[in-house]
Amino acid sequence: MKRFIVAFLAAYIFIFFWGWLLNGVLLKDVYAQTPNLWRSQSEMMSLFHWIIIGQALVVFAFVMIYASGFAGGGVIAGIRLGILLEIAAIGMRMGFYAVQPFPGNLIVYGSVGGLIEMIIVGAIVGAIIVGAIVGAIYKPGAPSFPPGPS
Amino acid sequence: MNWKKFFIAFIAAFVFIFIFEWIFHGIVLKETYAALPPGLMRPAEEFMKHFFHWLVLGQLVFVFFFTMIFASFAGGGGAGAGARYGILVALLGFGANLIQFAVHPLTTRVLGFWGIGGLIELAIAGAIIGAIYKPSSHTTT
Repeated sequence: MKRFIVAFLAAYIFIFFWGWLLNGVLLKDVYAQTPNLWRSQSEMMSLFHWIIIGQALVVFAFVMIYASGFAGGGVIAGIRLGILLEIAAIGMRMGFYAVQPFPGNLIVYGSVGGLIEMIIVGAIVGAIIVGAIVGAIYKPGAPSFPPGPS
Repeated sequence: MNWKKFFIAFIAAFVFIFIFEWIFHGIVLKETYAALPPGLMRPAEEFMKHFFHWLVLGQLVFVFFFTMIFASFAGGGGAGAGARYGILVALLGFGANLIQFAVHPLTTRVLGFWGIGGLIELAIAGAIIGAIYKPSSHTTT
């Protein structure tokens, strides 16, 4: 349980800062090109707690999925899970692109940013990488899902 | 990995998700989406004419990797394990929905429906995959 909480906190801190860097700094000008799709700055700040809760839920679910069936593989399994989940998320982004008037470059940048996030997981084992952090910290003895051949 | 079982599970889950999302988003939530601020959603005609293939392609990509994760890491355990896995992925997706709600002018009604719908959808999709990609299917590679 202690390792679970540490894995959750470490992953959460990374995602929070990565989200701020990617969306709040790097893509700021791209977002500014489509003001009709976004809440005003002041409105977003008043709803900021939902971002905190949302990120916490994402990290909690990631850690739970990893701990439920994939933890035996260590860091490599964490990296692999992160990449596979990110590619699935790209599929969801394509769905949003179909129904909302997002510019194509925003979808590409967001997807590349998400993938980089998880590729770094594989390159840097440590405090700033979600998948690697989870893989390195949380290694329970037995998965609750029967592990299958990979 | 048993690729035959994998593809059967993938196709079955894709068919379910395609139909579920058509009913859920196209019929049940049609009026809810119509009440959103103008410009937030593409006009129906534009979506059908120029962007529908992106929706289908996105669903294919999502379901393929949703199935891949279960099969390569947790393949086995049957429908129950699949449903549990689907619920966890739905929780992850709902976390992303909360962030979307904070930054896009969506309504709490849309957010609530997405949360409930996503949970039902992925629990069932996970159960379908779990039921098809069973432990006994691991005999071939």
